[in-house]
Amino acid sequence: MTISKTLSDCDERTREREYLTLAFSPSSAPLRSRWRNNGLSADFLGDYVTTFLPTKDGVPAFEERQKELRHAVTYIANELLENAMKYHQPDVEIPIKIHLELASDQVTVSVSNGVSVVQAGRYKAFVEHLQEGDAGDLLLKQQEENARASESTASSLGLLTMVSDYDARLNWRFDVHPTQSESMTVTTSAVLSLRNAPGASA
Amino acid sequence: MKNIHGESFEILLEEESSTVLFKGALRLCGTEDYAPILNLLKETLSNSAMPIVLDLRQLEFLNSSGITMLSRFVIEARDHAGIEIQMLASEAVPWHARTLKNLQRLMPSLSIRLI
Repeated sequence: MTISKTLSDCDERTREREYLTLAFSPSSAPLRSRWRNNGLSADFLGDYVTTFLPTKDGVPAFEERQKELRHAVTYIANELLENAMKYHQPDVEIPIKIHLELASDQVTVSVSNGVSVVQAGRYKAFVEHLQEGDAGDLLLKQQEENARASESTASSLGLLTMVSDYDARLNWRFDVHPTQSESMTVTTSAVLSLRNAPGASA
Repeated sequence: MKNIHGESFEILLEEESSTVLFKGALRLCGTEDYAPILNLLKETLSNSAMPIVLDLRQLEFLNSSGITMLSRFVIEARDHAGIEIQMLASEAVPWHARTLKNLQRLMPSLSIRLI
């Protein structure tokens, strides 16, 4: 397994921001033994982000907001990693990456993985479906469907809960692989706003 | 008393009181891995004489596959006549109030006590 951690202002885009990236080589361990790492990585990112949203002794609103943000980042990072691990196409030669970026007004968690062109098409159709409706209603419908369906539809519930339960804004990017024309990289980003968060100071 | 446990979680079923106690963090990998827990929950459905209590107060983390497992149980319970479910949740655990409210939309008679 390869884990790279970057904590510097390497390029123009991130000069004024704190960020952190973890990369995993999915072929180096089977899914089941790697699963534990999703939780460890997600917990780490959740703890990490709290440094930038400090508590103030005796001010419950600050502590409450910090606890909520830590949980939101942990939940979102865990779900995005689980999806990436499940759906990554093993023959696409890129690592799975999770990227946490802190700005003064928002926290972004992004995960990228490799997929086939066919998988990317299916995912794009789901994204369009998600953008058309109300996340709470879609979640309810999805739960009813999941009660009767198989594993294949279950991952969308994770994305719906990010929007419905954590007020995350989701974005997607699809890039053609530089050398494998039948493959693509999908990047899913979840943005949490820090507006109205007491003590936000990233 | 029956129990299922893993590295980060423990689940206990007290048959006499139809109470299922959840502790820790549940991050299992999909439907298949959650099947033993769902089956444990379904055991409570055979006794409709008393309310089923799911005590989630010490469940700090539940991934979306776990939410799916709970929603499957709630949907199955909804289809049984005379079943009452009460969920005990904690105000101190950030996800409880919002996520459990979604389960209540699936089964309006579900009661949630946020303690």
